[in-house]
Amino acid sequence: MAENKKYWRGVEELTDSNLTQELSAKEFPTEIPTDEFLGNKEALEESSTSRRDFLKYMGFSTAAATLAACETPISESIPYVIAPEEIIPGVANYYATSFYDGHDFASILVKTREGRPIKVEHNKMAAINGGANARIHASVLNLYDATRMQSPMVNGEKADWSTVNKTVKAGLDAAEAGGKQIVMLTSTVISPSAQKLINEFGAQYSNFKHVSVDAFSFSGKLDAHKAASGTRALPLYHFNKAKVIASFGADFLGDWIGQSVAGDYATTRKPGKGMSRHIQFESNLSLTGSSADKRYKLTPTEMNTALVALYNELSGSSLAGGKTNFSNEIKSLAKELKAAGNEALVVSGSNNKDVESLTIAINQLLANEGTTISNDHHNLLRKGNDTAFNSLVADMNAGSVGAVLMDNVNPVYHFANNDKVMAGLKKVKTSVYFTEKNDETAQVVSVVCAKHNFLESWGDAMPATGHYALQQPTIQPLFDTKQMEDCLMAWSGNDGDYLDYMKANWGVGILGSSDWSTALHDGVLMSTTAPVMEEAATETESSEEEMEVETTGMDVSASASNLSKIKGAALELAVYQKSAMGTGNLANNPWLQELPDPISRVTWDNYLTVSAADALELGIENRNVSNGALNGSKVNITVNGKTIEGVPALIQPGQAKGTMGLALGYGRQGVGKVADAVGVNAFALMKDAQHTAAITVDVAEGEHEFACTQLAHTMMGRKIVNETTLDTFLNESPSNSRGDGWNQKVEYATFKGPMAADEVNLWDDFDHETGHMWNMSIDLNMCNGCGACVIACHAENNVPVVGKEEVRKSRDMHWLRIDRYYSSDMTEEVAEETGVSSFAKFDKMEDPSASPDVFFQPVMCQHCNHAPCETVCPVAATTHSNEGLNHMAYNRCIGTRYCANNCPYKVRRFNWFQYHDGSKSEFDINYSMNDDLGRMVLNPDVTVRSRGVMEKCSLCVQRIQLGKLEAKKAGRPVKDGDVTTACQSACDTGAISFGDVNDHNSEVFELKKDKRMYHLLEEVGTQPSIFYQTKVRNRA
Amino acid sequence: MRKRLIDQVSRLVLSSFLMLFTLTVFAEETAGDPAKGKSLFNSNCASCHKLDKKVVGPALAGITEKRDAEWLFSWIRNNQELRESGDADAIAIFEEYNGSVMTNFPQLSDEDITNILAYTDAAPAPKVVPVERGSGSASASEDTSYTNLYILGAVLLVLVLLLAKIKNTLKQVKGDPASTLIEEADVMTRTALKNPRIVTMLVLLVAIILLQQSYVAMVAVGITQDYQPEQPIKFSHRIHAGDNKIDCNYCHYGARKSMVSNIPSASVCMNCHTYIQEGAETGTEEINKIYAAVGFDPEEGKYIEDYEEQPINWVRIHDLPDLSYFNHSQHVTAGNVKCQTCHGPVEEMDEVYQYSPLTMGWCVNCHRETEVDVKSNAYYSDMHEKLKEKYGADAKITVDMIGGLECGKCHY
Repeated sequence: MAENKKYWRGVEELTDSNLTQELSAKEFPTEIPTDEFLGNKEALEESSTSRRDFLKYMGFSTAAATLAACETPISESIPYVIAPEEIIPGVANYYATSFYDGHDFASILVKTREGRPIKVEHNKMAAINGGANARIHASVLNLYDATRMQSPMVNGEKADWSTVNKTVKAGLDAAEAGGKQIVMLTSTVISPSAQKLINEFGAQYSNFKHVSVDAFSFSGKLDAHKAASGTRALPLYHFNKAKVIASFGADFLGDWIGQSVAGDYATTRKPGKGMSRHIQFESNLSLTGSSADKRYKLTPTEMNTALVALYNELSGSSLAGGKTNFSNEIKSLAKELKAAGNEALVVSGSNNKDVESLTIAINQLLANEGTTISNDHHNLLRKGNDTAFNSLVADMNAGSVGAVLMDNVNPVYHFANNDKVMAGLKKVKTSVYFTEKNDETAQVVSVVCAKHNFLESWGDAMPATGHYALQQPTIQPLFDTKQMEDCLMAWSGNDGDYLDYMKANWGVGILGSSDWSTALHDGVLMSTTAPVMEEAATETESSEEEMEVETTGMDVSASASNLSKIKGAALELAVYQKSAMGTGNLANNPWLQELPDPISRVTWDNYLTVSAADALELGIENRNVSNGALNGSKVNITVNGKTIEGVPALIQPGQAKGTMGLALGYGRQGVGKVADAVGVNAFALMKDAQHTAAITVDVAEGEHEFACTQLAHTMMGRKIVNETTLDTFLNESPSNSRGDGWNQKVEYATFKGPMAADEVNLWDDFDHETGHMWNMSIDLNMCNGCGACVIACHAENNVPVVGKEEVRKSRDMHWLRIDRYYSSDMTEEVAEETGVSSFAKFDKMEDPSASPDVFFQPVMCQHCNHAPCETVCPVAATTHSNEGLNHMAYNRCIGTRYCANNCPYKVRRFNWFQYHDGSKSEFDINYSMNDDLGRMVLNPDVTVRSRGVMEKCSLCVQRIQLGKLEAKKAGRPVKDGDVTTACQSACDTGAISFGDVNDHNSEVFELKKDKRMYHLLEEVGTQPSIFYQTKVRNRA
Repeated sequence: MRKRLIDQVSRLVLSSFLMLFTLTVFAEETAGDPAKGKSLFNSNCASCHKLDKKVVGPALAGITEKRDAEWLFSWIRNNQELRESGDADAIAIFEEYNGSVMTNFPQLSDEDITNILAYTDAAPAPKVVPVERGSGSASASEDTSYTNLYILGAVLLVLVLLLAKIKNTLKQVKGDPASTLIEEADVMTRTALKNPRIVTMLVLLVAIILLQQSYVAMVAVGITQDYQPEQPIKFSHRIHAGDNKIDCNYCHYGARKSMVSNIPSASVCMNCHTYIQEGAETGTEEINKIYAAVGFDPEEGKYIEDYEEQPINWVRIHDLPDLSYFNHSQHVTAGNVKCQTCHGPVEEMDEVYQYSPLTMGWCVNCHRETEVDVKSNAYYSDMHEKLKEKYGADAKITVDMIGGLECGKCHY
């Protein structure tokens, strides 16, 4: 070799020659701190352990350990002394109950084993909100949170209930004697019995007020409906009847007005002639926007003008403020809406009264009342009144409130003017707070009443007119707690208990011809004859205002001119709710904290979402560090005069330029080690309960470390999520000879001629004809990415939580992940047309476009019938079953991780640590496995895996085995629907179907023949038991 | 070892003594058979009557002395009829017991009733010393094999001694100096130890034996076959399931419905023991432990109010590791497997012990051999057609053929 040539191993060596020299000198870049220990002479001399001692101790402990190991421990088996009639050990019981925390409501079934609630399932009998979201699925873990309030407190001291009763009664009497107000502050009360009780309680006092307020307020919206229809209540929306849906910032698939509509919406999304069309206008990229057929990015101010423009277009009028940059889009939308007539639906997400007035007016123009909107039956889940709340805060500060009782609200955390709330509460002599947590509000009140978890309480609910639901305890109270209703009864001198009270109340008007036991068994009751729920005792002040509103009715032109006066800022903030966190009521739940946000795929954080264009202007950067983890700039943000420093910023494709998003529900204090100090509190920034505001942003020092579970944003031109348009789907054949069909089957050229990928076999096939063959179909058109399935999987399969640091190292343990992909502006076709070089093409393909299409794809173990993992396992720990499952025997696994390495889907998860070992402090945040109380949530049918073994989706083999067994015991074949997986039964939209394809009457058998069906990475020939249905968007 | 022999001998002696005793009894009593009467009494009368104590009904010891046989016969067959016929005694008894009606027993033959009455007349049976658990066939064969080994060893020893004697005699005949057996052995060992081949062989042999023994020991870790812990209550399955023929599922009702076959609650015991307050072998001592658990006052025949129940800490015998999922109902209800297949002759056990090894090999072996009843269970109907194609119409379908050996069927 010539001397003048120089070789270098990497660019680093060329640019920084010192670095390589250093590295070659030392094998480990970080020093091992031996000197620190051995160099410290003092410490060494002080220690009295000599070499002899050390050997003695070691010898002794070895001997002791050996001796101790000789005896097998005796295990006891202690039966019930008196066996409860309904419990057979080993058999699960299900109870119908309801979840309501002031924000979310669902009718659910709770699975209990030996008296422990361990899982939430949907109540299919419920006509409204029968599907639990991710939070409600996770709520069962909050029951076993050891940081729950375990006893009541009076003036910061632990107290017993008799002291509490005495103190509160004295306080109430003093307030009454002093002529001061007694106020009940609650979230929206949906319980007819509780409302009656509160009214009766209030009737005892001369100056009693009941104020309801919602954490994520729709007070403005409610006022608009009051003006329009005379009733301060939201209508019920029937998305299943909608052909064209236009949403202005309403994230109705995520969090909106409490009514869960995802299931209804999904029924119209089946590709075919009748498929609905969904157009979304929004600032933040939401779940709803991701599912939309067409999505437009607007700032909140632009949304107002667009709405006025739409009204003008539909009505032919020319109200002021309808000048918009989106006039063409609005024109074509108006045309579509008109064509759909009463099968169209326009919804908005704003809490601005004028915006809602316009939306109502637009829907009136469409005459969709009775089809897609119903005002006969109201949604009763949001009834909060911000005006009343604001005057309460003012009254408290003025000192005119003598006692305040709070339930289901956390005013110090949830409201923007929290300093005023805090000051006000401190001025109230008797402030009583019902809570499960020693949280923000609990710090400033005089009496903290430790409250039952919803799984320990009795209750009822009327989520919508005529729809009733019951709540029953599924476990005895774990701690010294009481529910609000029982306390209220005690304080109003009512001796009975709340259950009897409720029964009596139901007996009077609600039950009608049905009986209590049936209603309790079903958990829900539809009543047509039932009287409307008692109204809350409203105060006198606001009634005058309401009268005025009624007389004026709805003035659209005034609303439009009000909206035109709102001047947009350079940057606008829109707060939003993550599907994992909502308003943060269940924040101290490790399952929820580790549930990746469906859009950003970030866990354990909230952050400012920024568009790429704004990021460039402001100098905000996101970068991947050497191990692939994501780091981002920190920014200081100022909103409504309040500043939060060091907020992490995340560049979000699809974010409207000029807007930013920040998730609510983070930045909790005092709720437990899982949630405290995670993220920042966005509630504190907002004013007048609006969801948008102007924001100013400065880039701050330092970098934030995100724990993001997905690093790739795009599919790089591969067929991972197969997508097509409705036109193509209807008019073209899936496969064609040109090889560019919309669901082209992969073929290989073989010596036998062209063969489909699933026919080319290297190995012999298993016998899949005899017995069952379990298959799962995932419809990508139905999946909206909500994440309920991921939580259900956690609960069913004892999946560990690993914490933020480990997620950053890509060691998350989710058996089921929902991959999210963005479309890129660069495609094969574009590259060909523009003549971009191959390198540049792939480079650009990595970047998502600024207005991307979003795809969600749930991926779990694909249960390949020619599984790459099975062939490489040296100990045959992972094997195939003749029912099409890929089995994993944990006790056989020696942890080589060859299988994970060979898996093309990357669905195998390795236990790097003993995640259930309570002594390891780094994992003790995962209380579902690390303390005795938390462990009660574990599913006893599924092994808790140990360190050093591989695990993955088992297709809920325990449920399959149970379904088969029940059939065998009954002496009948397994019917379709006998076996469901946890993810399937948690899916509100029916995206997941599961069954036996050898049963030709099964749904999954039909779905396997569907022309939309494809296998993930079909070309590798793994022949999975899981298949997907092509996503079809309704656009030309 | 020696204990076992003694046991066997003593058992033999004891049983022959018992036999003799019963024979004497037979000789004395000619009117009825108290042994048969006892079992009839237990199955028909014991829920309300005791011999020596008033329970629901009067104590029955010596009842034949109080009433004549004819009256007793008609009372037992149909006491209602007797009362209606205006029998003063019958009405008096009826009123004495607050009008609680005694069940009629028209099905009992004259002989049956005679036998029962004979039993009530017989002096309380002598308490039989609880016999230790009968050694199963396995341990019996073990015994004989060891005995054979000892005999063989003894014979060999005698042979060696004999040969040594002969050799010495021969030496003496030859005129060589005689040597004792010990001296002889000493010389032989010395010569052998000088031979490296023999030493190597010996070392190898020892090593192999050690390895084999430690392998056997290691494999046995965690196998608790024959585990027979002492239980908090000396509950005898022999009496309950054997003598009284109570169905296993009556107490262990979970076995048919659930993955676990539950240890019965004390409340289940109370179904019978509210009335049966004295055991045949342990008297009141053990049964009182149930009462202590649930808070029952046997004198009053009532539950004590506001009693804090005391759980009974049974010692678990069959403890499958958590890594394997076993479902009782799968085997008992779906598979029609008898309890005894895995648990052994429980109805003969006074104290239960673990009969089967509960190892995976044992499970797998049974799954290989057990035939699945594919014909009569409709669950298998479709599968059966396919299986016939695969294995032939008359093939025996065993559990492994329908996937019973797959890892994920038990490990998840």
